[in-house]
This record gives sequence, structure tokens and C-alpha cells, in this order.
Amino acid sequence: MDAVGIIFANTYDADLNELTQKRTLAAVPFAGRYRLIDFTLSNMVNSGIRNIGLITKGNYQSLLGHVRTGAEWDLDRKNSGLTILPPFSTMAGESIYDNRLEALASNFSFLRRAREKYVLMCDSSYVGNVDLKEYFDFHVQSEAVLTGLYSDQVMNNQKGVKGTTAMVDSDGRITEMEITKESPEGSKILINTWLIDRERLMEIIEQAIRDNKRSLRRDVIIPAVEKQKIMAFRTDSRILALDNLQSYLASNLDLLDKDVRADILGTGKGRPILTKTRDSAPTRYGHESKTSNSLIADGCVIEGDVKNSVIFRGVRIKKGAVVENSVIMQDSTVGEYVNLNYAILDKNVIIQDGRMLSGYITHPFFCQRNSVI
Amino acid sequence: MERMSKKTCIAMLLAGGQGSRLAPLTNKIAKPAVPFGSKYRIIDFSLSNCVNSDIDTVGVLTQYQPLQLNDYLARGQSWDLNLNFGGLHILPPYQAKKGGDWFKGTANAIYQNIGFIERYDPEYVLILSGDHIYKMDYSVMLEEHIKNNADCTIAVIDVPEEEASRFGIMSTDESGRIVEFEEKPEHPKSTQASMGVYIFSTDKLKKYLIEDEHTEGSENDFGKNVIPAMLRDGQRMFSYLYKGYWRDVGTLDSFWAANMDVLGDVPELFLNDPGWKISYHHSFSRPQYLGPASSISNSVVGDSCVIDGKSVDSVIFSNVVIEEGACVRDCVVMNGAVIRKGAFVEYAIIDNDAVIEANASVGGPKENSALTVIAGGITVGRDAVVCPGTIVEEDI
Repeated sequence: MDAVGIIFANTYDADLNELTQKRTLAAVPFAGRYRLIDFTLSNMVNSGIRNIGLITKGNYQSLLGHVRTGAEWDLDRKNSGLTILPPFSTMAGESIYDNRLEALASNFSFLRRAREKYVLMCDSSYVGNVDLKEYFDFHVQSEAVLTGLYSDQVMNNQKGVKGTTAMVDSDGRITEMEITKESPEGSKILINTWLIDRERLMEIIEQAIRDNKRSLRRDVIIPAVEKQKIMAFRTDSRILALDNLQSYLASNLDLLDKDVRADILGTGKGRPILTKTRDSAPTRYGHESKTSNSLIADGCVIEGDVKNSVIFRGVRIKKGAVVENSVIMQDSTVGEYVNLNYAILDKNVIIQDGRMLSGYITHPFFCQRNSVI
Repeated sequence: MERMSKKTCIAMLLAGGQGSRLAPLTNKIAKPAVPFGSKYRIIDFSLSNCVNSDIDTVGVLTQYQPLQLNDYLARGQSWDLNLNFGGLHILPPYQAKKGGDWFKGTANAIYQNIGFIERYDPEYVLILSGDHIYKMDYSVMLEEHIKNNADCTIAVIDVPEEEASRFGIMSTDESGRIVEFEEKPEHPKSTQASMGVYIFSTDKLKKYLIEDEHTEGSENDFGKNVIPAMLRDGQRMFSYLYKGYWRDVGTLDSFWAANMDVLGDVPELFLNDPGWKISYHHSFSRPQYLGPASSISNSVVGDSCVIDGKSVDSVIFSNVVIEEGACVRDCVVMNGAVIRKGAFVEYAIIDNDAVIEANASVGGPKENSALTVIAGGITVGRDAVVCPGTIVEEDI
């Protein structure tokens, strides 16, 4: 696939503050052992993209610790592969950029050095296992200036969270586009993914910076909708939204459904979602453990009950504990006779013996990283 | 060639044995590459021990069915052994100007690779066999070797008296110096059994390997030839008593038993030890899914499994499917095996990718029957009954 990938590790829409206080959105853990970036990187690699720039802004320590050299995605190449693009603000002036245009301008040399004809830009605010090759072919054949991406199966998107919506005609051409908190009747939710000719993009960026424009979507793409051919491609894959905590919990728990899991994790599709490996022991179950409808990663010790939950690597659930409808992240410990319902525990949380903590599907109970309760 | 630096100690890992007593598990793969403990291969333990003991140069001698083993080892990156100087090297038999040969015995395999040892010019060479499950700090043994000014140090474990005649047995004096070595003696004089882990001072190793090679009628074996020859010559040979976990997994029964050691509230073979990590090569996987009807008691379960049936006192490897209403008990269920609805499997090893169809019954209670083994890729048909103690190598 003749495209260079650009991933924006930070995003400007989602309202997932609880999980992004100490990490970029792209580094948010998901589905037992993944980070959001894994889906973006794997989709690109599975579609044949071999040259990827990862634009990071702040809080990128945990992201870099996760992707490292890109070896897990076979991106540790002598030629191209993964390039980490941390803040480097010359063209954007003194301050660190806060929009995609400035981020691209700051990394202009990466775009200039790339040899691929096209650029695929995306962020990591959605989860999906998407065949980008189909999308790429559609863009090339339609001779569009820009092509966006949408799905009719966006799950768990929340009302009142800002997103890009578009009216798309039967040929796939975008006729109207806006950034809004309410999606208008009949509109499609675009998932912040764009394909464009690389040289064209460079011209657009130079022009936009000269004109002191601030936003790629608002100041460049939306005004172009009327005049130019801007298309949108519909993927058949499901997209899980992570708009806020409620949506994050729901999207994790949706993976307990066989069809959703097969779609998202790519069972039998030949499109595996790859992630950083960790030499965890196999998960061990005690004499009295009870399990039902749960997704459980490796390295756990489960001695209590787990029901309708997603359990990350290295989690310990002690005797008599009951965990239901919850997401427990890496290396957390749930003490004896603890009751958890609709809870999200971030990494390394310790819940001491006997605690009862409960949220609700619309208001998950959240525990910050490293907290002890 | 300019040398970057030399190594103090390098390891030579003998991984070429056929492991015929472990058939059918070793029908298509070398014994060190046989999967173990849900996520590992047997060789992971020796390799991880090396890395955890600060030995970063390992020559792996391969011979029997090396394809999977070579794939698995790759450049050693799974154990951080992909180094520019040192690291993991696969050493197969080769043709040379004056002919070439298969490795004739353990000593001959090392003899043929003296060139590899010389490249790193180590003072000590650690000889390992890639077919034991144990967690051992070789650096402590090396310290002892150096302190004793030994020519050879042999790691031993204390075995029960009645089992001693299965092993190579050392008799030592008070200082730990070996005075006698007997291979599988009928009337053992001690209970100190060789673990097949040796440290040699390099010059002595080379001297005796060359001598052994030129000895008419030698089987070119460390236990049978090289060590007795060194003892006869009065070399300084010491035993090093190791007291941790060590299992020979040379037979199907011992392989099954060692797998079971990862179970329990306080497992004998503790794999979650952050201070002694066993590293392994990862193949693509997903988290495991446990369905609404699943019931799992005292078991370990690997990645990508989909389990909606029952597992009791069992070790489940990766990619295993156990359907609703199926039950495994006291089993080792290896990668990719499928246990269909209503099947009942007891006290058995189900090798990679075997399929037990619906309502089949395999094996019998552990208390009063022998171990049953279903070989890799075999299908046990619907409603079939496999009697306890059977080794199934054809579809039924």
C-alpha cells in the first residue's frame, strides 16, 4: 500500500480525562492486554503500511514504553518502519502545538522525506479492526482530494461528546460536514481518519500556516467540502467508541459478545491485533474460583469469582472476592471478600479485603492508577 | 578479527537428543522444543536460567528435527540474547574440509564446536542439556567452581535412595571433591545424582575432548567417557549440591507430573516469580474467554483459549477450546487441542491440535489407571472410548 501512516497519539475530542491524566489517549489500556495504539498500528501494518510516524505531544512516556522500537509490529526496520515524532516546534512558533495542523507543520520534514504517494492520517480515539486496503483502493479510484472513514456500526458513542459528522451521498461524497456534539439525522460519524496525496497535504499545510489557520478540520477540510471532491468510505467493521468512562466500560464489555470479539480482535480474519509482549506466566485458577462470560489476560491469579468482566495481565483476585461487570487493569489486586460491580480499576490498584464498591453502567466507579482502597 | 572483549563463561546447550521416551510428543519436534507448562517450551528454562545467571553467550547444539526448534529460538530475541557480540547461536552438525559427521555423542557435539568456544575465549564453559525443568542460578555454581580451583564441577541433586540407580551417582569426600562416579549403578554408594549440568575450565575441557575423540571405542559421552577419564587422571572435580526445583521430563509420566507442579495455591514450580522470570517466544494470541457455562478449578489456562466447559486440576495450554458440557480432569491439554461438547477426558496428555469429538471418553481416574496420551493432530471420534493407558497415534 503506497501510503505513509501518521498517527496522532493525542486527541482533541474525547472526554476520557480519568484515563488520560498520566498517559496519552493512544496509550489507554483496552480489552485485557492492548493499548488503543495497538489497533491503529496493527490495522496499518495488516494493510501493508510500512512507514509510520507517531506524533506525540505530551505525557508520552507510557506510550513510548509500549511501542518501543515497533518490533512487535515488525516496524523495527533499517528503512522506514516506525518513527516517533515528539514535539519539535519550529514552524509552529514557541509553544507546543495544540492542533493537528501545527503538529503536521512541526513534522514537515518527515512528510517531505517519505517516498509514498499518499498519507493516511488517524488518531487513536476509536477501536476497530479495519481493512484499510479497501479504503485506500476506494480513495485512489475515486480520485478524491481527501477521503474520510466511517462505519454504520459505531458502538457506545455518547451524546454530548464532540465529534465529526458528515452527510454522505450515495456515491460516498461528503456534502456537508460539521464538528458537533449532536449528530444530525442521517449523518455519519467520521472516525478522524483521512487519506490524501502527500504532496497535496504538504501544500495545504504550508498554505494553512501562512494563512494562520488553526484547525485541519474546521479551517481546511470543512470549507473545502463545497468546492472539492471529499469522499467518505464505509467500513463493514464495527467501531467501538471511547468517548467517556461510560463508553469505555461499555466498549470493553461488548467484547464479551462472540461476534464483536471476533470482529475487533480479528479472529480468523488474518488481521491480528498485535501488542507488546510480556513474559507473563499462564493465568492460574484456584480451587474455589468461579468464572462466567469474561475475557481474561495472562499472568493473573484468580481465586475468587469473575463474571461479565475484562481482566488485564497480572491481576490478582483473591478468595471470596466477587467481580462483576468490571474492567480491572494490569497488576491490580482485589482483596478477599471484596465486591466490585461496574468498576474500572486503573493499573496497580489495590482494593483491600472486604471492601464493597459499586457503580452503575451509566456511572462506572473509577479507581486511579496506583491507588489503595 | 578485533575482539570486542572476552567472555568469562559461555554456555553450550545440548538440544539435539531425540527424546524417544517422550514419543509421541517428540515425533515431529526435538525434545527441547516440546511445549510445557501452558506457555513455555522445555528449553525456555535452561535459556532463562542462563540469562538470569548473567551468561549472555549460549551455543545451542541441534540435530534431531530442528525446524521448529530453530524457528522458536530465532535470533534469541525472546531471551534478550540477540547480541552483536555473544548471544544465542544455533550450532548444527556441519560438513568440513576433512569430511563431516553427525554429533556422535554429547562430548563429540562439543568437540565439533571447539571453534565456537575459542571465538569467545572464555575461562569456563557451562554444559547444559535442554531437557530439564528447573530454576537454577548458575553463577553461584560458577563461584564455587572458581573457589575450589576446580577443573570440573558437576551439579547434583539429592534423590531418594530407591531412585538413585536411574542416575549418574557421585561419591564425594568431605570437601565435596568427587572420588567416584558411577553411571546408573546397581548398588548406588550415594544419593547425589548428576543433573547433567557441568562447568569446565576451558583448557581442561578442550584437552579431554580432544583426547576422547582419539580414544578408540569411546562413545564420546560426558557421563560415560569424559568424566571418568578426568577422574582417572586425578583432575580436581567437585560436586555442587543444588537444592531447588529440578525435574527430568524424559518420560510421558514425568512430563505429565512436572506440568502438574505449576498448579496449587503454592505451586512447586512457581512461574510468577518476578525475581526469576522464565522468558519465552510469543506467538500471536488473544486474551482467553471463559463462557457462561465455564467452570475452572485448580488449573492454569493459556492465551486465546475459549472455554465453556469444565477444567479440574489441569494444565491448559494456548488456543485450546473446551466446549460446554465437556470436562477435563488431571489433564495436560496442549496447544490448539479441541474438546467438544460432552467429551470427558481424564488423566491424559492431549498433544497439540488433537480433537476429542462430542461425547467421547478418554482415559480413566488417576488413582487406578495409567496415563493416556492422544498424539498431535489426532481425532478421537464422536462417542469413542479410549481406554486408560492407551497411546493413540491414529484417528479413531
